[in-house]
Amino acid sequence: MDLKTLTEINAPSGHEQPIRRALLEELKAKGHQPYIDRMGNVIVVKEGVGPAPRKRVMVAAHMDEVGLIVTGHAEGGFLKVTQAGGIDPRVLISKRVLVGDDNIPGVIGAVAIHLQSAADRARVMGYRDINVDIGAADKAEAERKAPLGTYISFDTPYVEFGEGYACGKAFDDRVGCWTILRLLEEELPCDLIAAFVSEEEVGCRGASGAAFAQEPDIGIVLEGTTCNDLGDVPEAVQVCKTGEGVAVSFMDNSSIVNRELFRKTLNVAEQAGIAHQVKGSVSGGNDAGSIQRARQGIPTIVLSVPCRYIHSPSSVIKLSDADAQFELTKALMAAL
Amino acid sequence: MDIRKILSEATSTLGVSGQEACVAEYFAGQFRPYVDEVTVDSMFNVIAHKKGQGPKIMLCAHLDEIALMVNRIEDDGSVRFSSVGGVDPRILPGSRVWVHGRNGKLFGTIGAMPPHLMSAEDRANNYKMDKLHIDLGLPADKVRQQVRVGDLVTFNTPFTELANGQVAAKSLDDRACVAIMLRAAERLQRMSCEADVYFVCSAQEEVGGRGAQTAAFAVAPDLAVVLDVDFALTPGCGPDVANPLDAMVVTHGPYVQPKVAKRLVDCAKAHHVKLSQNVAGRYTGTDADEIGVSRAGVPTVVFSLPEKYMHTSVETISLDTLEEGARLLAHFISELDAGWEDELWI
Repeated sequence: MDLKTLTEINAPSGHEQPIRRALLEELKAKGHQPYIDRMGNVIVVKEGVGPAPRKRVMVAAHMDEVGLIVTGHAEGGFLKVTQAGGIDPRVLISKRVLVGDDNIPGVIGAVAIHLQSAADRARVMGYRDINVDIGAADKAEAERKAPLGTYISFDTPYVEFGEGYACGKAFDDRVGCWTILRLLEEELPCDLIAAFVSEEEVGCRGASGAAFAQEPDIGIVLEGTTCNDLGDVPEAVQVCKTGEGVAVSFMDNSSIVNRELFRKTLNVAEQAGIAHQVKGSVSGGNDAGSIQRARQGIPTIVLSVPCRYIHSPSSVIKLSDADAQFELTKALMAAL
Repeated sequence: MDIRKILSEATSTLGVSGQEACVAEYFAGQFRPYVDEVTVDSMFNVIAHKKGQGPKIMLCAHLDEIALMVNRIEDDGSVRFSSVGGVDPRILPGSRVWVHGRNGKLFGTIGAMPPHLMSAEDRANNYKMDKLHIDLGLPADKVRQQVRVGDLVTFNTPFTELANGQVAAKSLDDRACVAIMLRAAERLQRMSCEADVYFVCSAQEEVGGRGAQTAAFAVAPDLAVVLDVDFALTPGCGPDVANPLDAMVVTHGPYVQPKVAKRLVDCAKAHHVKLSQNVAGRYTGTDADEIGVSRAGVPTVVFSLPEKYMHTSVETISLDTLEEGARLLAHFISELDAGWEDELWI
């Protein structure tokens, strides 16, 4: 399954069915025996080719994405929504969305600029002001077509552009899912516990159950992470840069990386000549926090693909950074 | 005539105010089967003439669109821009665009800050246009080979069908009204028509009715009907300023000729076309403001298609309303006779 297919599947946090089904089908077709646990994670264990006892390494990527969820219906047939995962409402204006499992097309508009006062122009439209318009004739039709709790995704086709870049939604974290699928094609010395986990974007909820049940020796979290490397951004807060390889975290808001594992990862990357960078800012959090503190504790590291405009309808990665994520994960697993 | 296909093609054709050649050529081709003669003038107005012996009527809808323009290429390859026409900066973060460079169009996306890094102050303020950038996925030297200051940037938003015959796209302002004229021209082929009819797709409306001004001079019409979009009801845009989506609108006020407006209202009644009416206390903000005072004066009315989310990339209209607008327009033209001017001012 390619990255385009993975990112174009609509599955916000709490509504991972579409991506879960696609992954199950793909994994079975490749001869694996995936199972679904009670958090809705999809897990595959692939034994290594090295001599026993082998290290058991959990490689985790979250399959959910940020999206919207219907919270009400307004007169005139409009949908009221809130975020499922962190979306700045300022990126929603004038965007196209797909509503519910039938992918009903919708748009998010705004009062015309002609009618805005200076105060209107300055005021940020929050979720209270946002309306999703599916063309419903009235409130009853809106309720029928998109009942309370219906999930909504960005309608953003995957596009490759520029010099090796790709633009799409949900690179956070379908790019990590893609890397795991590529790792499953490899023969590795250690056991690979491939974990496609749920609900990262609403509090890293899936990963903890997966780590508890599988009790790995080491955790490797594959992410798409914030990257702010263009425009008016001082170097110090750019976090990481596209095109400079996989970003290795030493710390974020959810975990402090095991120092030995961090050094080893950098050594492996240097020796193997894999493009890498140290993630330069402590921001955000991810499944590493959940996995690191499962059971009596599991040494865990995060390897990320830098992702511009993350959590927006149109984020951007450089594909060579995804290749570097794959190469470094593979090399690290061989060195553990 | 496949109206969806026409709207989809028309709204994705380049035609920014002042540089309308592509969209003018597109519409010239669309009008050709229904009229006797089509010309594109030096302003990129399309003038489609259906010859007749009766009164000379000019229908006018503008073909230009609002857009962005490159004003700087930064050393990191990001592209800075300003607006051509009234672009709302709030629609920009996270929007996909086409940058029209020297070797064709380049895909780009307008960046937005990751929420993880925002301060409370960042969240409380809207983005300013001069702080935003377009990402072309290219280093600065490659950008500079293909893109120059002054190059146009248009929104990359596909035509989208919503429920109940509503459609969303960029530039439906005012290409949906050009489509009304096309549909009316098609209908008139099967109707009797005395009038000498000029369908004008005007240029540079978004920067002030400039194309309509010269087109009206050239055509020298006896009367004119200007078709433009008007605000449709949406949350935050109530009945004090907006109209229901499901009916065309006739405007009253000093910038429109009252008897011609009444004639349009009466025609709607006769043919059971649902119509809303509104008032413009002074200028109408459409090409009518220029056409009305062309040469020695042109009795002019404004006939509008309600549109949700004007000047965004998801402008939304009802196809049923568009069709009814075309039906009424065709009847209005067809019923225009030599006596139209009697008692115009008394």
